[in-house]
Amino acid sequence: MYQYDTLDREFLADRAAEFREQVDRRLKGEITEDQFKPLRLMNGLYLQLHAYMLRVAIPYGSLNGVQLRKLADIGRRYDKGYGHFTTRTNLQFHWIKLKDTPSILDELASVDLHAIQTSGNCIRNVTSDPYAGATAEEIDDPRVWSEAIRQWSMLHPEFSFLPRKFKFAVTASPKDRTAAKVHDIGLVVRRARDGTLGFEVIVGGGMGRTPHVGPTIREFLPANRLFSYLDAILRVYNRHGRRDNKYKARIKILVSSLGAEEFGRQVEAEWEKVGVDGDLPDTEIARIRGAFAPKAFDTLVNRSEAFEQAKAADPAFARFARNNLKPHKRAGYSIVEISLKGIGDTPGDATSDQMDVIAELGELYGQDDIRVTHEQNLVLPHVKLDDAPKVFAALQAAGLATPNINLISDIIACPGLDYCALANARAINVAQDIATRFADQDRAELIGELKIKISGCINACGHHHVGHVGILGVDKKGEEFYQLTLGGSGAEDAAVGKILGPALPANKVTDAIDTLVDVYLRERQDGERFLDTYRRTGDAPFKEAVYADAR
Amino acid sequence: MKALTANRLSDGEVVFWKAGQWVERFADAELFDDAQAAAGEAAEGHAKSQPTVVVEPYLIDLIESEGLWAPLSYRERIRALGPTNHPTHGKQAEGGAVIAALQHAHGAARSTGRVDLIKRK
Repeated sequence: MYQYDTLDREFLADRAAEFREQVDRRLKGEITEDQFKPLRLMNGLYLQLHAYMLRVAIPYGSLNGVQLRKLADIGRRYDKGYGHFTTRTNLQFHWIKLKDTPSILDELASVDLHAIQTSGNCIRNVTSDPYAGATAEEIDDPRVWSEAIRQWSMLHPEFSFLPRKFKFAVTASPKDRTAAKVHDIGLVVRRARDGTLGFEVIVGGGMGRTPHVGPTIREFLPANRLFSYLDAILRVYNRHGRRDNKYKARIKILVSSLGAEEFGRQVEAEWEKVGVDGDLPDTEIARIRGAFAPKAFDTLVNRSEAFEQAKAADPAFARFARNNLKPHKRAGYSIVEISLKGIGDTPGDATSDQMDVIAELGELYGQDDIRVTHEQNLVLPHVKLDDAPKVFAALQAAGLATPNINLISDIIACPGLDYCALANARAINVAQDIATRFADQDRAELIGELKIKISGCINACGHHHVGHVGILGVDKKGEEFYQLTLGGSGAEDAAVGKILGPALPANKVTDAIDTLVDVYLRERQDGERFLDTYRRTGDAPFKEAVYADAR
Repeated sequence: MKALTANRLSDGEVVFWKAGQWVERFADAELFDDAQAAAGEAAEGHAKSQPTVVVEPYLIDLIESEGLWAPLSYRERIRALGPTNHPTHGKQAEGGAVIAALQHAHGAARSTGRVDLIKRK
């Protein structure tokens, strides 16, 4: 993984020291809350319902063991012994004290972590493929470009006060695990017929109150021209994005009001002006690429006897292998997904003890490489099949071996009204109820891939618009109600879900999910996922069944 | 009936006003009935002059629950109790009659007190 140099480390230390001074001045009353608030937000510190929340950036979801142990340690010493992984592949601590925050930033800086650009109208943490460097599907390693974007966007003076926040996703596989089409900019690595590396550039996707699947404004951008082109996009947005209305300030509104073609034309015109001066030298990309050079893989055969024997001996391991292990590019290796969706647990939460276990497994069996997914799970991308039974046993002992990746209980949920100052309704309890209803793993596997995503407000941190089944918490005269949307997808077949009907009271939601599943199982044709069946039949049979039950 | 609440500046803890002091338990909060509305507003004014102690003080509406008083809005009940997914986190861990009354309160209404904070996020 990429290593910070002395300059980076000095900067982080300075930044933490600066925040210590700012906190001190606030506590002494030398600056007001109005003056302090933007400063704390620039360091990822929010005030929520019960305490301060610190959002730590995990660049493109990539961590090593030392960093994860440090997060565990901070959780133990400054929080309540846990952390919450988010849909932006960050980690949030929900019980932070303002007076402790400068010391926490020092601790983070000691392992090259920080909370910069996890809030505010700037370029936020880049989302990338959690299988980067491990999947045979990829054309290039998307972390190289994600890291380059991180460096370019870090404290970028021109792009630190954009009309609104700005999120990138970078993927290099046909199977999109980054939700690229619902980011402000989605970059999909492509290779031209002549072998030139480049990007499909998708701009203006997003969720929130006005969801959009982003249009492609350029089918192929040569990779060596990436940064001048990004400059051009951000300049057009900075100039014309709406600053008068925060609900219309995201780039998706600009792109949709101008039309993708006109927006693209303006970007091209701006790009001419930026010229090659805005590009990163090839030598710099090569330097960054060096940091992601694959570590030495052993030469193995595809079949691992230890793995096969463990599967035959232990049905629980066989089930885990079936659902949580994904193919690796190298023979004899596997990508191991660690579900943070234990049945009845809080989606995305990991205790400090669990983080320590995962850090150790990463170090012992996974080339010291740990990833966070936007679906709030963790990944060990490089595990030998021979070692998979040992990894499983350790995960099982730590309560981390839930075999439900991509199944109905692998639910995304934002923190919702249990923590968040913006939420209208809870989300976690809805996820817990649904997961508990579908705790029977045989049934969950029979149902197959079904992505439920829950948000506690229209800001859509829980990605409800792109859930196969989306659930949005709304406040109806002070009661928690939930609106269902069907047919969304955040993957390569991205779509915004369609509202099924009137919102349901909280105690009817899990029954409604059960009904949707029954309809799907009745209607599905061979090989169809829930989403495929829905797309074929439309919403009529689902709507009829859910609202017949609700009457 | 109303109570005055805020988050403590130094640690974000949810606090309630009690006769010129800030207390952590809703059970200890000073309650202002309609006849004491002016006193409630005066307390709010006083609280706003303590920017190094609390952030965003505001009055919340209360309703009766099990013969006791509970915040009217669901959001305020969660603030006074703690998150529903972790019964051992927050003030609810302590238990007691007032906590139970809050947990059983019904007929929620949206909090008005945090609107400013929400808008300014």
